[in-house]
Amino acid sequence: MMNLKLKRREFLQLMGWSTAGATLAGCDLPTTVTLEEGKEEVVAYLSPEEYVIPGVGVWYASTCLQCAAGCGIHGRVREGRALKLEGNPDSPVNRGKLCQMGQSGVQTHYNPDRLSKPQLRKDGKLVDISWDEAWKVLDEKVGAAAKTSGARVAWFTGTVSGHQAALIGEHLDALGSRHHFVHEVINNAVGRAVNQDVLGEAMPRLALDQAKLVLSFGADFLGTWVSPTHFATEYAKFRSGTRGVLVVAEPKMSLTGANADLWLAVRPGTEGMLALGIAHALMQSGVSVPDAARPAVAAYAPVKAAEITGISAQRIEQVAALLKQHSPSLVLAGATVEGQEQGYQAASAVMLLNVMLGNVGQTIVSSGEFPFPQLRPRTGNTRDLVAFAAAAKDKALDVAFFYGTNPVYTAPASLGLAEGLQNIPFKVVLTQFPDETAAQADLVLPVASSLEDWGTHVAAYQPEQGVITFQQPLMEGLYPGTPGVGDALLKLLKMREAQKYGAFNDYFSYLQNAVASLPEQYKASGLTNKQLWEQTLQKGLLTVDSAPGSLKTNVGEITLHEVKADAEYPLHLIPSPRLGLWDGRHANIPWLQEAPDQISKVVWDSWAELHPSTAARLGVREGDVVEITSAHGAIKVKVYVFKGVHPDAIAVPLGQGHEGYGRYANGIGANPLKILSPAIEARTGELALYGTRVKATRTGVHEELVKEGRNNISQRSRKLVVTISAEQFRRTEGV
Amino acid sequence: MRWIQLDRAKREPARQGCGALLVALALVWAMPASADTAAPASIKYPVAPEGAHAGKDVAQPIEFPHDIHTAVNKINCLYCHTYARRSKVAGIPPTSKCMGCHSVIATDKPRIKQLTEYWEKKQPVPWKKVHDVPDFVHFTHEKHLKKFIFDNDELVQNLSVDTVAPVCAACHGDLRTMTVAKKIKPMTMGWCVSCHEKNGGPGDCWACHK
Amino acid sequence: MSLENLTQDWSRYRNGIEEGGFHNYEHRWGMAIDLNACIGCNACSTACYAENNLAVVGKERFSKGHYMHWMRIERYWDEDQAKAEFPDQGANFLPMLCQQCGAAPCEPVCPVAATYHTPDGLNAQVYNRCIGSRYCSNNCPYRVRYFNFWSYPESAWPAPLNLQLNPDITVRDKGVMEKCTFCVQRIRVAKDTAKMENRKIKDGEFTTACAQACPTSAIHFGDLMDAESAVTKLWAKHQVKRHDDEGLPVSTQHKQNPALRGYRVLEELNTDPSVMYLERVREELA
Repeated sequence: MMNLKLKRREFLQLMGWSTAGATLAGCDLPTTVTLEEGKEEVVAYLSPEEYVIPGVGVWYASTCLQCAAGCGIHGRVREGRALKLEGNPDSPVNRGKLCQMGQSGVQTHYNPDRLSKPQLRKDGKLVDISWDEAWKVLDEKVGAAAKTSGARVAWFTGTVSGHQAALIGEHLDALGSRHHFVHEVINNAVGRAVNQDVLGEAMPRLALDQAKLVLSFGADFLGTWVSPTHFATEYAKFRSGTRGVLVVAEPKMSLTGANADLWLAVRPGTEGMLALGIAHALMQSGVSVPDAARPAVAAYAPVKAAEITGISAQRIEQVAALLKQHSPSLVLAGATVEGQEQGYQAASAVMLLNVMLGNVGQTIVSSGEFPFPQLRPRTGNTRDLVAFAAAAKDKALDVAFFYGTNPVYTAPASLGLAEGLQNIPFKVVLTQFPDETAAQADLVLPVASSLEDWGTHVAAYQPEQGVITFQQPLMEGLYPGTPGVGDALLKLLKMREAQKYGAFNDYFSYLQNAVASLPEQYKASGLTNKQLWEQTLQKGLLTVDSAPGSLKTNVGEITLHEVKADAEYPLHLIPSPRLGLWDGRHANIPWLQEAPDQISKVVWDSWAELHPSTAARLGVREGDVVEITSAHGAIKVKVYVFKGVHPDAIAVPLGQGHEGYGRYANGIGANPLKILSPAIEARTGELALYGTRVKATRTGVHEELVKEGRNNISQRSRKLVVTISAEQFRRTEGV
Repeated sequence: MRWIQLDRAKREPARQGCGALLVALALVWAMPASADTAAPASIKYPVAPEGAHAGKDVAQPIEFPHDIHTAVNKINCLYCHTYARRSKVAGIPPTSKCMGCHSVIATDKPRIKQLTEYWEKKQPVPWKKVHDVPDFVHFTHEKHLKKFIFDNDELVQNLSVDTVAPVCAACHGDLRTMTVAKKIKPMTMGWCVSCHEKNGGPGDCWACHK
Repeated sequence: MSLENLTQDWSRYRNGIEEGGFHNYEHRWGMAIDLNACIGCNACSTACYAENNLAVVGKERFSKGHYMHWMRIERYWDEDQAKAEFPDQGANFLPMLCQQCGAAPCEPVCPVAATYHTPDGLNAQVYNRCIGSRYCSNNCPYRVRYFNFWSYPESAWPAPLNLQLNPDITVRDKGVMEKCTFCVQRIRVAKDTAKMENRKIKDGEFTTACAQACPTSAIHFGDLMDAESAVTKLWAKHQVKRHDDEGLPVSTQHKQNPALRGYRVLEELNTDPSVMYLERVREELA
């Protein structure tokens, strides 16, 4: 697989990895059958590897970059084209499985809206330029900044890890800047802070399969939380044998909620009080409460909690009894809990339950310390978005690099990011696609797709042991000249520190060196560096185990305030993430646009989920367009009447409302992030994503919502899905 | 470098795939009657389907002489078309295969100079496709070769270009008598089916249609 | 004569077993789908799009029912909660694909024999034979046949998206009916490989794209004629039988233990589906 004397492109070529894009022109119409001799060209391999056989697919291991969970993939390549992605069975994250976003990696790669040429802003407009010019401009601009004010250069990225993160760090160090902003809308930053403070580790391991009951407060672990495919494989184990019980409390039914044994529609923003109410019931039944939390627990007797949360006292007591009965359990807090102004306190109340129930050490265990700090993931959050918007507004930055994130789309309008960007004189966007952020750039650098690139990645959630996953190109790049992200970073570094990085022809050789120079204790014995490299690529990952530590149970004081009603804006806006379009980054993938939402079954659109009682009060029915107004803006969305949402809430899914993200994304639906208030979670500085109050008004416009199985709501007494009791299941199949 | 018309094929619902599937240039022509190329009479061959096709002469970028390689130099069809026994697709031999010999043999000949030029420029030779089946047909070389060559003990014991060629010739004509390949068999469904009937091939639609 | 051969075989394929139809099976591919494990996530459906060259039709055509998802997840809400304020349990998810019926209602109505029963127990659709009468889809109780109302190759795969197309399966054109094939191209590769190696297909050596992708491994696929296959054992464990295993009428399941979870959707229609579902399980906490 390797030959250091060759450039990557050359060795790919010698391996027979062909540029499949080259013969596209002159296609016949589909109905024209030409079997006539001599009409078509057949181009043979030049010098293929022994294992490359025309007509037979070859699978290569790599890493999925469709979200930050770090699933391993196997990509099927035939005749130089990547055709299909499946999970890598060797990966402890996804164990051979892959979610719909991961599988759509091929459509991210082959997307017809990909950029093929660099663009530079000239006279206010982005125009295509050559790669030589792009690198030259970059060298000049960053060079000028380096001389005068290197500290005013920033990187603004999505979650990054591995050697990519290391190189970004090196680049900033070379410039003397400390500005690495890391932004993700879908994150668990508040939860990580609580974990860190209570347990001593930001992301401990969760033994879902060991839990006999999982109580989730809006943690959509089957859909959008932390590492969904991993948790889905664990869920399968959790539901077999003795079959664990799943209870979900959230203001809008998530995919996880849609699989619950008991689903509780909790009043938005009161999840913390519900957790305290359950803690109180547990306390009453003899479970001890840590001293620091006792005042908070004492304050929320089930009757009081019921009043606040809308969940009856009997239910609260029932859940407490279930928790006591099914031990060990696992209690999780997700985005709806964390995304409040008192999100940290509420998530702490949820964590308190784990401590009280003795789950820490049983279903929540230490994941140990990943041994290489340079490669550790920089996990995304919204605090950095706020900080970046402020820095831009204050004219604190001269050059900003953007990669792996689209802040102009994701930032609430109230942060004033789009205006702030005008204050940054030189903005460089590394992207595969023209997007809303690229539209504001001064220089747009197209980068290779994840299926064309080299890389190493470290997932924030490590399910078994420390793992570095490897990414290798499945095929030759579609657009010649387009660099990999690592290659672009190396190029930037060479511009600043030629003597240090000049030795590396490219990121490929840099990574090979990195593997060769892995500390001996992490290398399997008896392997040469070449064998190690080949084995690592073949397997797709490198295990670097670290001894797990032990978790603490430092429960602090919990202070929750009452959630006040707002007469002008009576509804809580829930910008709900979807397994599919995610935070909007996958809106340009046709498969995912056409894949029905798991709950509403809507395709190609945005919608607003309203409880029937709320819809009746507003006088709207499904398909009626409502205007959702916050103090910071308004969007128009079609109504979807749904019982799985609290009457005080209105849920609008994330992902749509793009204006400059290609043919499949543009002009569809609305982006709820735009009208969020800039309210901040008090302890962590994260945006309170679920803390915006809105009102909804009829517009009088009606358009049909396009849904799969339009009328398939009820089984109409047909025996389609049959449900039996868990008791019967345990009797006939239980262990 | 490129490989075959991958993309194009897939834009043609009615035809299969990407040329990749059925490119069977080459191979030999079954004229067992011909004296100097006769295979041992005891070898059983498939009952060839009837029918002929008045194929066009296809100009190739290099006028590859099948006859010199097979009839004169007695090189087995499967030496170059090695993918045929390992894949549904016979494929075109990679240029490296040609250069395995022609980096030393006949290097002064004009065709070899042409070939060497492609090789040195690292460009694939733009061969023209001669044999093809539609997009909706699943045809596998490896199974046909297994049945008619490798499961035929007598043939395997006498394996040579002259024993193998008649098998290939059933569909491709006897390339021992051609320079570049020419399509001389109809390659229609009826023609395929008649062969399946005579030689006990499957009659299930989905054995061949996809 | 081949025509004779064809028409004779056709009539045999078309007849049900009670009429002495052709059921000399080589394999009977079947599935078991565990609704206790299914989370409704859509991974199977997307895997199907990737594997089988399914066209994306866009919003407008989707609204007219022209969608092409061979594998879809149906979602139902509990009927006994019609009057409740909130659903107190999750949804009912049902992955629905061609059930590859042993007595398929789609087969006998095809005027041109484009759909027929294969010796593998599959309901085959021969695209280049199909004339688009759509009788088959009208006769399908599961609604799993999809018609190409439009020519999609240009609109669904603008370059270079077309480079993703799987060359092992054809791209269907306008006027043709299509449906789940149990990934027949994968079956074909497995059969070819086994044949090349002079052996039988091993259970688990290949699976369908949907079963491969399923994060909770809710979908099991295998040969119901292989007594040792995992799927055969699941069928046996749940006492679900193909009717012609014992010549029983389809609707008569005679489960010794009715508490077992296996059932087939709409089996009372005597379609003899090849897909067994395992009942969804929920705690009774209400």
